[in-house]
This record gives sequence, C-alpha cells and structure tokens, in this order.
Amino acid sequence: MKLPKNLRRRVLLFSLLSFIVAAGRGAAQKQPQIVQVKIGTILASNKNDEFDAKLKGLENQLRVLKYRSYRLLKDESQNVPWQGSKVFEIPGGRSLMVALQEFQDNRIGLKVRLTEGQKPLLDTTVRIANRGNFILGGPPHEGGVLVLSISAVAQ
Amino acid sequence: MKDCENISESMGRWLDGELSPAESESIRAHVAQCADCREAQRKLEKLQLALEGALMAESKSIEFEPFWRAVQLRIAEKRTWYEDALDWSRGLFTASRAAWAIPALIALLLAVASLESYFPGWRGGAGRNAFAAVDSIDAHGRNVALLREYDSKTTVIWLYEDQEGENETAEEPPPPGPAF
Amino acid sequence: MELSDRELVQKCQTGEMSAFEELVSRYHQKVYMVILGLLRNREDALEVAQEAFFRAYRKINSFQGGSSFYTWIYRIAVNLAIDAQRRQKRNPLDFRESMDGLLESQDEVARDPFADVHDKELRQNLTNAINDLTPEHKAVIVLRTIEGLSYKDIGEILGCSEGTVMSRLHYARKKLQDKLSAFL
Repeated sequence: MKLPKNLRRRVLLFSLLSFIVAAGRGAAQKQPQIVQVKIGTILASNKNDEFDAKLKGLENQLRVLKYRSYRLLKDESQNVPWQGSKVFEIPGGRSLMVALQEFQDNRIGLKVRLTEGQKPLLDTTVRIANRGNFILGGPPHEGGVLVLSISAVAQ
Repeated sequence: MKDCENISESMGRWLDGELSPAESESIRAHVAQCADCREAQRKLEKLQLALEGALMAESKSIEFEPFWRAVQLRIAEKRTWYEDALDWSRGLFTASRAAWAIPALIALLLAVASLESYFPGWRGGAGRNAFAAVDSIDAHGRNVALLREYDSKTTVIWLYEDQEGENETAEEPPPPGPAF
Repeated sequence: MELSDRELVQKCQTGEMSAFEELVSRYHQKVYMVILGLLRNREDALEVAQEAFFRAYRKINSFQGGSSFYTWIYRIAVNLAIDAQRRQKRNPLDFRESMDGLLESQDEVARDPFADVHDKELRQNLTNAINDLTPEHKAVIVLRTIEGLSYKDIGEILGCSEGTVMSRLHYARKKLQDKLSAFL
C-alpha cells in the first residue's frame, strides 16, 4: 500500500532519525581517544573508627574489607592515551603503572603493575566497565594498609 | 507577471471573501485590467459552480422523522464497554498516527538500547557487567587473594606482604589482612 | 419564541430530550449533506450522520460552549466521515454503482438552478476528481462549497489553523482544475 506523500515524508524523517540513533550507537562502540584513569589511595586500619567523608561513594565497597577506619590519602587522575601508559605515585616509595589494552562492549581493558622501587609487586590485567572500578590493596603503610581504588572513564 | 502570480495564489481567498477590503480592492483593480487573471477567475468560478451542482444535488432528500427515529434507536441501544473501547481505539490507529507512531517506536527502542552506550551504568551500576573481570594475576611469588562481593559488585585483588621479611624490620606488626 | 442553540444545549444537559430533537431537526440536513459530500454514498452518509448525532447526545454534557453547536456537531460528523473514508474498502465495481446511482439522482432533481452542470461527462469527471482528493482536502472543499463556512469556522471544525485551511483549499482547487481543464 502506497502511503500518501505527507505520510511518506514523516516515515522517511523518523527512519532517518532511527538511523542516526543507530549510527550513534555504533559510533559509541569505537575506541575512545583517551581514557581518564583515577586512583584513590586510601589508608585502611583498625586504629580508630573514623570513616573519611570524602570516601562516601566507596563506602559499600570498602566495608567489604572489614577494617574499622578508612582515610583518603590521595586522589589522582591522569589521561591515558590509547595504547599508552601512565605512572601514578603511591605512598611508601611505590608506583602504579596503568596501560590501556582494549575497549570492547563498553569495557576497558587495563594492564596494571604495582612496584616498590624497582621491585615488581603485582602484575594484573583486568577488564572493568566504563566508569567502573576495582580495588587493589594490601601493601602496609603507617600502621595500616594501602587500598587503591582504580577507576577508568573512556572519553 | 509577479503580480499575476501573487493574485493567482490569492484568487480563491478573494472569491471566498476572506481578504481585507484593501486587499480585495487591489485584486479587483488588477483583474479588471488583466485578461489572464480574468480567465483564471472565470475558471475558478466555473469550478465552484460545478462543485455546488455535484455536491448539493441531494440537498432535500432526507426526511426528519425517519432520521430522528434512527438516532433515538441508537440512543436507546445499550452499548457494551468493549464497543466503546473499540470506537475509542479506532481513533488511535489512523494511518497518519501510525505513520508517526511506528517509526517513533523504532527510534525509541533503538534509543533505549543505546542508553548503555551513552550513559553507562544508567541502570545503577548493578548490572550484569558491573564486576571487573580479572584476566591474569602475577604476584611475583607473593600470596594474593581475589575476591568478588556480589552485593556491592566489588572486585578486590589483595596482595599479602611477605610476612617473614617484613617482621624483621617493621616497628610494629603489619595489620592482619582484610577479614573477607 | 425560538430558543438559541446554546439554550437548547443547556436544556439537553438537564435531560430534556425534546431540546435535543430540536437541535437534530435544525442540523440533520446540513450534517448529512456534508457527510454525503465526503463519502459519496447515501446509505453510508445516513448512517454516519445518525452516528454523529448519537455521539453528540452522549457527549452533550462535555460541551462547554467554547464553540458554537453547529461547529461542534460538524467536527464530530467530519471526523467520523474521514474515519469512514479510511475504512472504506469498496471494490471498483461497488464504487462505480454508488457513483452511477448518485449521478442518476442528480438528473432527477436537475430542475434546480445548478443545472449549469448538465454535462454528464463533466459531473462524472468532477466526481472522480473529488474522490481522488485526500479526506482532509475533500473536507475543506465540501465544507466551503456546501456550507459556505468561513476559513475560521472550517479550521475550528477540522482542528487546524486558518492558514492550513487556506493552503488545503488552494491545493484542492488547483488539483481539480488540472484534472478538469478540458471542461472549464
């Protein structure tokens, strides 16, 4: 059945809109130019019961660790170019190198290396949801332990 | 010529009496002097006459009494709720509305499907893919633990320090590992 | 003393059926003519006209008086007629029969002053040309030709602006003229 001209115009317009939305979705799957990586360095201990208000957004995750006290020591963001890497300074003479590996299905693949001086402590590859995070912890520091919240946002 | 074009566009409104007195007078004056526009007026008036003849031929053929009886019968008839709903729904599914509704629905479905691309974690971050997936771990001989906590969708990699080496030099013992 | 449409409507709203009967008496012919102009079939036009008044009766309490009663009843009638046109699934043979019937009746009442249209071929072509218009374009032609309604009133009935009425009339007349150029 042939639609009248004005109806054909409307069908065409909305089909075009649908195509643009679909194309946009396709575009959103392409590799991002840079990824902003954020490292929150937290001191967890059982010295007291204080919970740093700045860590409110991570409260549910940190409670998993069952320490009594959490204090934010440092919050650092760096833009990591695609197939590049950046190094974050971690208290206690340590450093964390983050390299981008892949971007697929809205998940960011990271290669992470924690070192103490020149000594590697941990190498791991993880895939996190865009705007998601994971927790890396354990190294001792000032009577407690360091907990790193590592998150990434594709730009 | 431009005047004739403009007047051709306004001829119908002029003959229908929808123009202001000034506009009407302007057109009347032009038509009086322009043979082409007079011909256009003649054709439009002839069309109008033909339309009246074709459409008004039946003007006196229905009687009131039978018509009113038929309306009364309809009023007296009790309609079921679904007949009313059907009447109402017929108004919804006209061709022009369908022409808007169908592509709009397609666009809406695509937009919802695309929401994750544009607004990741819009479902509150508690979706299936919220967990970080750990593909490989190398703790270089140290003890390491991997934990996934489902309620908060948290992935934790925990590095246990070398207890023997640390105890020789540290002033105070390192705190025990997390109690997860 | 004759009551105004507004007064009759108010009486209807209090349940006076005789007031509604008076309104039907005043407008049944006009409504029928407009619908016939749109549907081009007597039986369908009668049914739709009756349905239009039935619906007006059912909705009479919701009539606020923002427009005149005749605009309101025309709106109901034209919408029903446009819906009916879209649902019409006549095969070509049935269509021709209804058209021939209509033309024959025009011959019977050809003693009227509009007997300028005595050329059967012109009428046949005109009828076909009117039927080729979209329901919306046909509606403006019918309301203007049969009722001589203003663009403002036509716009109120069809739920569109005066500008839309104007452009639809212009387009419809141009289309009809193009199709009937040999006869005009």
